Amino acid sequence: MEYLIHLAILCCLYLILCQSFNLNFGLGASFNLAHVASFALGAYATALLSTEQDWGVALCLSSSVIVSGVFALLIGLIARRLKQDYFAIGTLAFSAVVTALLINWKSLTRGVLGVPGIPRPVIGIVNFYENTNFLIFIGIAAALSQLVLWHLFHCPFARKLKAQSEFENGALAMGIDTGYVRQVSFIIASAFAGLAGAMYAYYLNYIDPSSFSLNEMIFIITVVVIGRPGSFWGVTASTIFLVLLPEPLRFLDIPASVLGPMRQLIYALLLFVTVYWQRANLFPRERKV
Amino acid sequence: MEILPQLLVNALIAGSIYALASSGLALMYSLGRILNFAHGHMMMLGAYLFYWFHIELGIGLGGSAIGTAIFMTMLAEVSRLIFVKPFLDFSPLLVLVTTLALGVMFEAIVSMLFGVSVKSLSVGLELSSIEIGPIFITPLQIIIISSAIVLLSLLAIVVHRTALGRKLRAVASHREASSSLGISTENMFRMVFIGGSLLAAFAGIMVGYETNMQPTMGSSYTIKAFAAMMLGGLGNVWGTVLGSYLIGLIENLSIGLDFGGYSLPAGYKDAISFVIILGVLLVRPQGLFGRAARAV
Repeated sequence: MEYLIHLAILCCLYLILCQSFNLNFGLGASFNLAHVASFALGAYATALLSTEQDWGVALCLSSSVIVSGVFALLIGLIARRLKQDYFAIGTLAFSAVVTALLINWKSLTRGVLGVPGIPRPVIGIVNFYENTNFLIFIGIAAALSQLVLWHLFHCPFARKLKAQSEFENGALAMGIDTGYVRQVSFIIASAFAGLAGAMYAYYLNYIDPSSFSLNEMIFIITVVVIGRPGSFWGVTASTIFLVLLPEPLRFLDIPASVLGPMRQLIYALLLFVTVYWQRANLFPRERKV
Repeated sequence: MEILPQLLVNALIAGSIYALASSGLALMYSLGRILNFAHGHMMMLGAYLFYWFHIELGIGLGGSAIGTAIFMTMLAEVSRLIFVKPFLDFSPLLVLVTTLALGVMFEAIVSMLFGVSVKSLSVGLELSSIEIGPIFITPLQIIIISSAIVLLSLLAIVVHRTALGRKLRAVASHREASSSLGISTENMFRMVFIGGSLLAAFAGIMVGYETNMQPTMGSSYTIKAFAAMMLGGLGNVWGTVLGSYLIGLIENLSIGLDFGGYSLPAGYKDAISFVIILGVLLVRPQGLFGRAARAV
């Protein structure tokens, strides 16, 4: 039962993380590889503020969201100058810079030692060390995020975002400020990633730079690609599917050192198969008049 | 300042390895806008294959080299056919994603077969350094620098003085025109992919001897190769080679020099290439010697 609760918590966490990437990539066609960096910043913000400054839940969560949101301004800067594959490389490099900073800025982040002893949130007399209670906490957060994101996916803003991704000049001709729309989508997605990061820190009670590597980003990409980029419920379903998929492996007699790489292999394989299958639809070329 | 000559030599060594690794990538890009994220993993595979032949199976140097070359050729061709070729008619980003997946698969498979612990090819070898004037250098490092010069010169001769090289350059400048003139673009791609992967494998073996190797080393070298390509100009192989040496220089100087009491902690060494990529993309996307500025 504890195990199922653990899986449910993971599903909620990744739901927030992947649905927000879906906003960037699915609707806006921006292959923002720095999404995992927003995740990392949110996690570190909560981790450091709750351990070193003893800040409470509300403050930590808001700080994570704000830190990631501000970080998105930098991503927007990159987007202003670069398009398509150059944007992807640029955000990849940016994400790598963030990781390098997390590892080397030891006075702030304790480097590869990570931040241990992150306390569970304290709200009233509820004991969040009970995973069931934590599940309710993160479940509410995930449900609210899904609600907000669903509305974002079906509002005029989403149509503007889609328009600028399909035909930028046409969108500009209609008076849509494409740079602004993209920037806002980055800020929103990044903020949600920060929230997910805060939840991650609160749940695991320990974070270190290795959890925010490229492999994590590949997982997010796999989820969104399999769930069909731009499809709200598709990504919801694929998040749950992919979080739960490698779990049966646990019950086979495989040594731990093989289990990790095997999960990677499965995700990479799934990603490749889906990309191959959808290769005509992913990354569509911009319409020429 | 006394350590400057040593820093320059270190830069030369690092630059040589990066140049061998990135020239293949640059060739692939100039031919078909292929951003092969698994290129660094070819380095890793070369190192591990050689390790398997030489250290685990006990085969001698020559035999291991041949075995590694044969396996690498097959791996490169299979990778190209499955992970690159079906996607060339679509967006270049697709190849980035598929080769990303390929890289992860290579990493996972090697981790499962060899374990994630760091290994070294120079197990049990005595590599003492020679003192030449103000610098210390080991025989291996001399081999690295000279083999890079030899291999890159060979590459230059092939590309600029042979019929094959003419065909490669033709495909690089205009794929459709070349194919209408009867040049098999498929064969050109195949050769560039295999050749580039073999160069990368050689670089990987050098890294395995010089420092050490682990399954995760692939992605960091890929990013350095990307940085070299961005710096030197996308689509320009010699620019990339120059970019590689420049990166070696920037890395070693920024770590080694004392900027008035402050020196960059060594851990930031890898981050430098990332910053270079970003800087180049934002300031001068065509790099130092790139072709006409891409519409970014």
